[in-house]
Amino acid sequence: MKAVCWMGTGKLETLNVPDPTLLNPHDAIIKITRTAICGSDLHLYDGFIPTMEAGDILGHEFMGLIEEVGNDVTNLKRGDRVVVPFTIACGNCLFCRKKLWSACDNTNPNSHLMEAAYGYSGSGLFGYSHMMGGYAGGQAQYARVPFANVGPLKIESDLPDEKVLFLSDIFPTGYMAAENAQIQPGDTVAVWGCGPVGQFTIASAFMLGAGRVIAIDRFPERLKLARSLGAITVDYSEEDVNVLTALKDLTGGIGPDACIDAVGLEAHSTELQGVYDKVKTSLLLETDRPGVLRQAIQAVRKGGTVSIPGVYGGLLDKVPFGAAFGKGITMKMGQTNMHNYMKPLLERIEQGQIDPSYLISHRITLDEAPEMYKVWRDKKDNVTKIVIDPWAEKGSA
Amino acid sequence: MSHPLMEKPNAEQVLFSASAAVVMDGRYLAPPQDKDGKIWARTSAIVQADASELYALWRDVESAPKWQEQMTSVRRIGDVTSHWVMESDGEKIEWDSEILADEPGKRIAWRSIAGDSSNAGEVIFDTAPGDRGTLVTVLQEFHLGKIANAWETIVGRNPKQSVIENLRHFKAFAETGEIPRTQGQPHGPRGIIGKMKKSLYGETITTPPAEKAS
Ligand SMILES: [Zn+2]
Ligand SMILES: [Zn+2]
Repeated sequence: MKAVCWMGTGKLETLNVPDPTLLNPHDAIIKITRTAICGSDLHLYDGFIPTMEAGDILGHEFMGLIEEVGNDVTNLKRGDRVVVPFTIACGNCLFCRKKLWSACDNTNPNSHLMEAAYGYSGSGLFGYSHMMGGYAGGQAQYARVPFANVGPLKIESDLPDEKVLFLSDIFPTGYMAAENAQIQPGDTVAVWGCGPVGQFTIASAFMLGAGRVIAIDRFPERLKLARSLGAITVDYSEEDVNVLTALKDLTGGIGPDACIDAVGLEAHSTELQGVYDKVKTSLLLETDRPGVLRQAIQAVRKGGTVSIPGVYGGLLDKVPFGAAFGKGITMKMGQTNMHNYMKPLLERIEQGQIDPSYLISHRITLDEAPEMYKVWRDKKDNVTKIVIDPWAEKGSA
Repeated sequence: MSHPLMEKPNAEQVLFSASAAVVMDGRYLAPPQDKDGKIWARTSAIVQADASELYALWRDVESAPKWQEQMTSVRRIGDVTSHWVMESDGEKIEWDSEILADEPGKRIAWRSIAGDSSNAGEVIFDTAPGDRGTLVTVLQEFHLGKIANAWETIVGRNPKQSVIENLRHFKAFAETGEIPRTQGQPHGPRGIIGKMKKSLYGETITTPPAEKAS
C-alpha cells in the first residue's frame, strides 16, 4: 500500500510499504477512505517530537471501511464504515472505566519511554512517535486499529466522509476544550488560536451556551472562518491592537468568563515568520508557547476558567501563578478523552447543527502530501485544513 | 519433559531476604536497596480483576511465557517446583524454581534452587480501596554475576526493568486478554539510525504472545 512516511526532520516521502495485518485479537484492518493532516503533525515534520524513527507512517485522523477483524472483535464486521479516534483505549483498565480514555494504561507498548521522559504514560496514539506507542498512522491506504471493539465509531447514515472525518480528533478536541471552560449560559469566552481545533472550540462554545465568543489570531482566512461561526475577531498582529486591552474593552473591564488556549497545537507555525536556524526555532517554541497561556491567565475574569487543549510537552517558564491564585481561577486541560464525545457529536452533525467540512481548504492525494506539509508549515496558500483521498491518483483529487 | 537441574553453578544460595509488603504496622516501607551483590526490583499495579483470578493466572507457572518477556518454556517438575528456560539468539539460561509460600488469592513467594539463575520473588494480591480492583505488588531479587548479565543479554533489558515490564504485560493480559504490540506492523525503510533507535527504545524485545498456548 501507499503511505506517508517520516524519513527525518523536514523529510517526508510517500512510499510503497507492506499492507498491515492483524496482530492481536482485538485488531481490525481498515481500508482508509479519507484521512487528514493535523496541525500537530507539523510538529513531527519539524522534528520537535522526540522518538520518531525513519520509516514511521504518519497520520492520526482517519476513517474508512472495515476490511478484516480479529477474533475478539464482535461489534464490527467487514464493510462497516467507521471513524477512528486518534487515542487508543482498551476499555477495561481503571482509567477507561472512569472514562478517562486518553489515560488508558494498556495501549502503549512503549510506556517505559514516556515514563522515563515524563514520569507517567498516557494511551497509545496513531502515527505520533515511539514514545506514544509507535503505532503506524493513517495517512495510508490501510491501517491496523488495535482495540477496535472500543474505539471506532460506526457511521450508519449516508453522511459523506468529509462531514464526519473530523470526529477522529479536532472536533472532539475543540469540544472538550469548550466543555473544560465550564461555560454558563451567556458567558463570554475568549479563544486564542483559530486553527482547526480553535474553530471547533468556537463552534462548541456557542453550542454550550456562550453569549459571546472572542477569537484571537492573525491569519485572515482563519479569522474569517471564525466570524462565519459568529465570533468577534481580534487580529493581534494589527499594529495598535493589544489583546489584553481588547478583552477588557469587550467585557466592561472584567475579562472573559473563560479563556481557552487553542494555540499549543500550532504555536510554532503561528509564531515563526521566516526561516530561523533550528536551535533558535526550538528556543522560540519553548518561550513562546506559554506566552498565550500567560495572556489567558492575565485576561480571565476573577473566578473564571482557563482551558488548555493545546499540547504542552515540557516545562513552562514564568507562568503568572500569583494572578492565577489571586483571582481564584480554575484550570482544566489534557489530552482529549475522545471516546466520550464521538457519538454525541456525530448526533449533532446528523441533526445539522454543524457541518465540519466547512474547514476544508485543500483536497489532495497521498503523493501530494509531502509537498502540502511544507505548504501548510510555511503558511502559504491559505491552508485551513488538508484532507487526503488515499485512493485518488495524482491530479484527480 | 525437563529433568530437574541438580547443580547450582552460582555457589551462593539465594536467601529470600525481604517481603513485597509496602506497609507494615501502618508504616510505609521503602523498597530494599541493592547491596551485597543483590539487586531488587519492587513494582506495583492496579488491575481490574479479582485477586483470586490474578492469583490463579500467576500461579499457573506453565502459562508464564504468555506474558513474561523472552521466556521460552516453563514446565512443572513437582508440586511446587518448575523448570524455567529463557532463550534468545542462541543464548540460553535455565533454572529450577520452587514455591516457598502459597496463599491462594493472596500471595506467592518463590526462589530458584538450581541452574543458571539465582533469583527469588514474591507477589502479593490486595483488594484495592474504593472498589478499584486488585493492587498487585511484586518484589524480585537477583544475584549479580552470570545471571544478571545473561538475563540482560537474553532479555535486552536489565532485570529491574524486565520486572516492571512483565507486571505491565501481566496487567494488560489480565484486563484485556492481549498485550499491546507494534512488532510486525508496516513501515518504510528504517535506515541505520532507525535500527539503532529500535533497539534503544526496547522495541527489539519480543512482546510476549498473550493469547497463544505456551
Ligand atoms: Zn490531530
Ligand atoms: Zn484502558
